[in-house]
Amino acid sequence: MKKKSIALLMIASLSIGIFTGCGKNTDSAQTAPDTQTGEESGIVSTVFNGELEHDVTIQVLENDTAVSKGYFAELIKAFNEEYAEYGIVAVDANMNQYLDLANDGPYGYGPDVLYQANDIIMQYAEGKHIYPLPVEKMECFDKIPETAWAAYRIELGGTAYTCGVPVNVQAPMLYYRKDLLPEDWETNWDDNGNKIPDMAENWNAMYAYSVNRHEEDSSRYGYMKSLYDVYFSSGFLFTYGGYVFGNNNTDPSDIGFSAGEAEKGAWVLSQLAGAMSEECIDDSITTNAYSKLADGTYFATITTPDMYSTFLDEMVLAYENEGIEEAEARARAEENLVMTTLPSLPESGDLTEENATFLEAKSMGGINGYAISAYTKYPNACLAFVEFATSYEMMVKRSELLGVAPARNDAADTAGGTSQLLYDNLESGNIVLMPSIKEVSQIWTPGETFFTDLAKDAFRTEKEKKYTDLDAMKKGLETVDQQIYDAIFTLK
Amino acid sequence: MRRKINAGKMLDTVVTYAILLAVAFVFFFPCLWLILASFSKSGSIYSFDGFFPAQYSTASFVKLFTDTTMYNYPKWFLNTLLIAAGSCALGTFLTILTAYTMSRFTFRMRKPMMKTTMVLGMFPSFMGMTVVYLLMTQFGLINHLGGLILIYASGAPMGYLTQKGFFDTIPKSIDEAAKIDGATNFQIFTRINLPLSKPIIVYTALTSFTWPWSDFILPKLLLKEKNLYTVAVGLMSLDETEFARFAAGSVFIAVPIVILYFCLVKNMVNGISEGAVKG
Repeated sequence: MKKKSIALLMIASLSIGIFTGCGKNTDSAQTAPDTQTGEESGIVSTVFNGELEHDVTIQVLENDTAVSKGYFAELIKAFNEEYAEYGIVAVDANMNQYLDLANDGPYGYGPDVLYQANDIIMQYAEGKHIYPLPVEKMECFDKIPETAWAAYRIELGGTAYTCGVPVNVQAPMLYYRKDLLPEDWETNWDDNGNKIPDMAENWNAMYAYSVNRHEEDSSRYGYMKSLYDVYFSSGFLFTYGGYVFGNNNTDPSDIGFSAGEAEKGAWVLSQLAGAMSEECIDDSITTNAYSKLADGTYFATITTPDMYSTFLDEMVLAYENEGIEEAEARARAEENLVMTTLPSLPESGDLTEENATFLEAKSMGGINGYAISAYTKYPNACLAFVEFATSYEMMVKRSELLGVAPARNDAADTAGGTSQLLYDNLESGNIVLMPSIKEVSQIWTPGETFFTDLAKDAFRTEKEKKYTDLDAMKKGLETVDQQIYDAIFTLK
Repeated sequence: MRRKINAGKMLDTVVTYAILLAVAFVFFFPCLWLILASFSKSGSIYSFDGFFPAQYSTASFVKLFTDTTMYNYPKWFLNTLLIAAGSCALGTFLTILTAYTMSRFTFRMRKPMMKTTMVLGMFPSFMGMTVVYLLMTQFGLINHLGGLILIYASGAPMGYLTQKGFFDTIPKSIDEAAKIDGATNFQIFTRINLPLSKPIIVYTALTSFTWPWSDFILPKLLLKEKNLYTVAVGLMSLDETEFARFAAGSVFIAVPIVILYFCLVKNMVNGISEGAVKG
């Protein structure tokens, strides 16, 4: 009898568990609008009907650099003044910049407007966590190149929707110290006499100088970068014909890290690793580059343009530690720290080749931009904010304060310098935008494993080396492609 | 023979101390390293001269409390203090009441309840995090420090067994004598057993304070706004270039625990001796 009761109790509890999933969903979480219904083309104009919501507060999530440098405070102040007559107030969402809109949004804890990289925004778009926007009606539409808009486009039911507004271009930039150039650089390291050192123009010169510098003083290095980072290393493959996904990064069944002569890019990386320390195997260099470039241990590295101010601050600190006054230290740091586009690569992939023919370097990049949460109650006020934040004046101000490259052509023209170069690189296709499909999340681990192994190879004995020739590198990259394919499709 | 014993004893002492010193070093060294790192002038782990900072300054501590634009450490600290103090007060109260009830009263379902709580206590607390999150969203307690206090305090009585063990050691004959003198259950609890239980109350208060003080998972799950972060969540959100600030924040977080320990440890000892006299 006792056993029977226990058995019945267990059956009852199991049944409760099973039936919990049944019935009408009554939780209070809002559900995102179903963009796959028949009226898809009408959804955008239904949501964004142009009638501004009055007396509302919208929460805006910006990135940390914009907050710390004071740009965000200026932006919301200017917006709030402009829209004071409608009672629309924009405030800092005061959340971590790496938010989880998919989980927090439905319960009303996400921001109304968010600033993120294109791959993140498009993952939210696939999950229908953000609204498609009426971008063609926006003032900035024809000022931003098609490549940038394409990064925010998604196709559903045969209709294309744009889910974000590009704000700035992110791509790897070369950072180097002008004061660490050899004294004779103008005579011996400027072959074309254009007053730009060869190291900043081609990787062969950079490699040669790196080897020289390390040979002269074993504690000092030339170019240093953690190789395992797919974001920075994959550009070397792209220059020689590699790509992430086929059909403009939209077909995950076509993986192309080994396409074309991508193995030459791997060879370049392998040669560069030979002039670095073993720290290039993991992320040590990525995190120590700021202080090591500042104290002169490294001559050059690559990272994104938004890190310029961090490098600058470290250099100011280093000069101050040498006893230089703050104002002079800052002036000296600004003079000596150079940020420019990536050097070109030898067509042969051989960094020791003399009189080489060079190819323009390609790199993986991203477009950061604004999107509007599908859980906002005030879509029109949010759209007004995005319009305001992507206006010419605000984009120029953003570029001035943060040193980022605007996605708007007129703002890029005004900003000039590296911003203009980055914009040109985006337009010419030298910046390969990170795919905006969710399968992109599967490329990182196989890629990191390969690049780590490649970096390790530089420190293995001849007998133990895995990638002794281009064929071996090609095979290694083909394995990466296969691993990514398996990760995406095995359980589909 | 005597010399041999002395030599043996000495060897034993030397080996014992050597092992103790080695173990102490293993535990103490990371703390020492973190404390020294928090005083690093450069603020970067990569500018160390070998294992320790090349230059020292208090700049990281000054920055920790003055540069609050991005990382509002003082606010995180106050949030943590509020949560820990609230959970400590409420949690201690509930735990002591639970333990006393289980120790002193016999009622129906007492044994099954004890067994159930013991089994439930074996499951890790983070197992129910998804449910906790959903419940908190329904009660509107996300982004509320009070929500955290409620969870910590209501979970605290689950660990009542230690306290019950202590109450079991106080002879029931004292209660019976008081009852004969006309004392009510409430009077027996407040006037007789509570004063004898100072050590376990202090122990309970300390553990109820330290758990929320250093917890990461629950605040990370329930607090979305940066200004509501606790120190543990806030320190995790620091940028990778902010190592010295991280170290300084980690060192400073130990201060209240140390103060609390030194304030309360006296009561633990007094309570024990007080109990011994009465016993």
